[in-house]
Amino acid sequence: MIQALAKTPAEEAFGISLPHRRMEEWRWTDLRRNLVKPYPPHQNVVAANKDVERLIASSPFAKLTTHRIVFLNGSLDQAHSNFAGLTFELGVPSSSAVDDPVIHLNSAIEPSGLTLRFDASMDVPVEIIHIATQGAARAMALRNRIEVGEGASATIIETFVGEGDYVVNAVTEIHVGAGARLDRVKVELESHDATHLSYIDCTLAKDAKLNELTLTSGSALNRQNGNYLFAGENANALIAGAYLLNGKQHADTRLVMDHKVPHCTSREMFKCVMDDNARGIFQGKVIVRKHAQKTDGKQSSHALLLSENAEFNAKPELEIYADDVVCGHGATAGDINHDHLFYLQSRGIPEAEAKSLLIGAFVGEAFDGIVNDVMREAMVAFAENWLTQRKAK
Amino acid sequence: MADQDTIDLVKTIEVDKYKYGFETDIESDYAPKGLNEDIVRFISAKKNEPAWMLEWRLEAYRVWLEMAEPTWAKVHYPKIDFQDLYYYAAPKSMAAPKSLDEIDPKLLETYAKLGIPLKEQEILAGVRKQGEPSRLDDEGNEIIAGRVAIDAVFDSVSVVTTFKAELAKAGVIFCSISEALREHPELVKQYLGSVVPQNDNFYAGLNSAVFSDGSFVYVPPGVRCPMELSTYFRMNAKNTGQFERTLIIADKGAYVSYLEGCTAPTREESQLHAAVVELIAHEDAEIKYSTVQNWYPGDAEGKGGVYNFVTKRGDCRGARSKISWTQVETGSAITWKYPSVILRGESSRGEFYSIAISNGRQQVDSGTKMIHLGKNSSSRIISKGIAAGRSDNTYRGLVSAHRKATNARNFTQCDSLLIGDQCGAHTVPYIESKTSTAQFEHEATTSKISDDQMFYCMSRGLSQEEAVALIVNGFVRDVLQQLPMEFMAETQKLIGISLEGSVG
Repeated sequence: MIQALAKTPAEEAFGISLPHRRMEEWRWTDLRRNLVKPYPPHQNVVAANKDVERLIASSPFAKLTTHRIVFLNGSLDQAHSNFAGLTFELGVPSSSAVDDPVIHLNSAIEPSGLTLRFDASMDVPVEIIHIATQGAARAMALRNRIEVGEGASATIIETFVGEGDYVVNAVTEIHVGAGARLDRVKVELESHDATHLSYIDCTLAKDAKLNELTLTSGSALNRQNGNYLFAGENANALIAGAYLLNGKQHADTRLVMDHKVPHCTSREMFKCVMDDNARGIFQGKVIVRKHAQKTDGKQSSHALLLSENAEFNAKPELEIYADDVVCGHGATAGDINHDHLFYLQSRGIPEAEAKSLLIGAFVGEAFDGIVNDVMREAMVAFAENWLTQRKAK
Repeated sequence: MADQDTIDLVKTIEVDKYKYGFETDIESDYAPKGLNEDIVRFISAKKNEPAWMLEWRLEAYRVWLEMAEPTWAKVHYPKIDFQDLYYYAAPKSMAAPKSLDEIDPKLLETYAKLGIPLKEQEILAGVRKQGEPSRLDDEGNEIIAGRVAIDAVFDSVSVVTTFKAELAKAGVIFCSISEALREHPELVKQYLGSVVPQNDNFYAGLNSAVFSDGSFVYVPPGVRCPMELSTYFRMNAKNTGQFERTLIIADKGAYVSYLEGCTAPTREESQLHAAVVELIAHEDAEIKYSTVQNWYPGDAEGKGGVYNFVTKRGDCRGARSKISWTQVETGSAITWKYPSVILRGESSRGEFYSIAISNGRQQVDSGTKMIHLGKNSSSRIISKGIAAGRSDNTYRGLVSAHRKATNARNFTQCDSLLIGDQCGAHTVPYIESKTSTAQFEHEATTSKISDDQMFYCMSRGLSQEEAVALIVNGFVRDVLQQLPMEFMAETQKLIGISLEGSVG
């Protein structure tokens, strides 16, 4: 019997009810229980310039690009942004009608955002960075739209950094046009006390190509939803992900690959590293609708548990209504392979270093798909840094 | 092009070829229609049950009233009116004491028609040919391997249990659960509901309140059950639900292999079947449970058929115990069934081998749960789903390791085969690991029978249907090999029959 639940302080503040573990898609992430205290939207937080600059510089891609759009505490920060050469439209894009708790919460917080258009190919990456500075507990929301026009190509980096206790809810709508290509990297490096919720609503047109990586390593509580609609034939998507989690971090990714038309290819590859009491979750679903013949959909999620108390949950789903398809998924969970470790140690590599090498190689596979060498190296360097800090503990 | 040809061909062939659909014309005793506490008392009284059992049933009934029907499975059916069913039906002639000679010949005829031998000298076809010399063991007794003891259940009552005397010699108790309640109440009381409690789920609650019969097996310590045990379930009466309860206990170091078969007549209205099976394996014990489920699947348009809502669970209680489920699911309009193993004992092992075939308008939502609680416990899941016609076939499974289940190990493979473009195959696995030392591997694939495979077979002179049967039998081979000899040949044939009219 589902009874009407009494509203929590957080729900009072948001004015809507939050998802809880009785809802199938939220079985491992009980937002209602974990977001108890109120995070009122639209708090005026005064940010010192030096803090903003320091946080912008903390992005692994800080030195990589000058095309930067900065959102500071939930609002566009024109002063630190550089729009040179970009086609954009300020204001929240007309919202998609997806029925999802993250999107409902996003609307309740009243997001700010813009629409970014790429009608011609652009070689330099564009970074959209959200910064949360130290201040009162609060909720912030973004809603952006990225459109890559027919035959165009673009590289987008979405970075989330911050300090203190807050909630960020980011919705990104993406449309990759016919024959277009989008390379996208998202790095979630929020404060260790923060909650990060996101939703990607992506549509791929005929012959479109999407290549993305999401790195999750910052927030205390993370939930990322993604819905990828294959609307045109021969579209192709590679969705990679990496978790580097420790302490009591919790990260939950739910992806839906919705194959509506024939001849599309989707690949998901998640590499999840959990240390201490961290908890990682991967929920992937590949839907192949009735006429989507010749679909090639593969999904893999691999977890490396580095401590006794780390935890991994997975739900890799297939829902298939067409017969001439090649679909599959693989999921593994375990600790470091002791034979591998022994091999390295027998070659004179100390244990801690050998472990770092193996973890680095494990997670590094997720970065292999990044085409831009400098960006890939930045990700590898980030992982190495994470491992050095782990060793130092 | 070839794809289109086969799809067209499918449309021209009749799907509905259920060969066990006959009805036995026999007078039955019914409980009044509907369900209330009086019906629960009625069933309990009919069975001459002890007072504690009635209390247990009533408790279950009260819990059930509070429960909601599960809706999470990927199956759709009109709402069941639980007041519009008969909860007890027994052939009138069964009132007399039972021995094979006194059984209504109509019943014997039914089982003969189904190919189930109720006379002890008979053996299942294909096991030992007539005239083959019997083998003797060290003490000069005939080795009875190859013979199968059968408990035949007709609607709500057990008709007969064969080879009882011979089993008793080995100390094995094999009887109907009603009889066990009378003869061995202490064993039943100790184990009943200890794996599937009354409040486990909606259908288990219903079953606990109204179950009418089923089998009971107890294998004492150190005994290897001398023959295969088997239960054959037959639903006959109209508008009647069948609620059987099976309880199998293998004491320390014991071994038992158990087979279950089921059929039902062809009827326009749907029938409900909600069974509960509990297995308990103590230290070093092993239970092998095999099912060939062939309830009436409904006609090509999805009219009629059995709703098969079953709770099956094994408990590996002792160290090094082992429970293995093997199921061949070809029948039922709707299947909702997840045979599970709780791996409580250290180094215990759970296995699940499944072939689920759906055709016509059948809907299957089946899988398993492997719950690792003990150290070094291991499990293996091999699931083969075949969807044809306009059916939906879902694998739903859970593999979980508790924090203390260090070095737990699981390997899961679920493969789906689609025949035709009107069916669906789905995989919904849950993997939960709470210890870093657990090693979990999960693999799933979905594919179709390739045109090359078909062409190869047909160029060797096989008809289209023979070719499909051959390829499908190859696809499910890993599971077939787990079946006892008695079932293997039959199952291979059954696969061919189930897929008739679905060539792809």
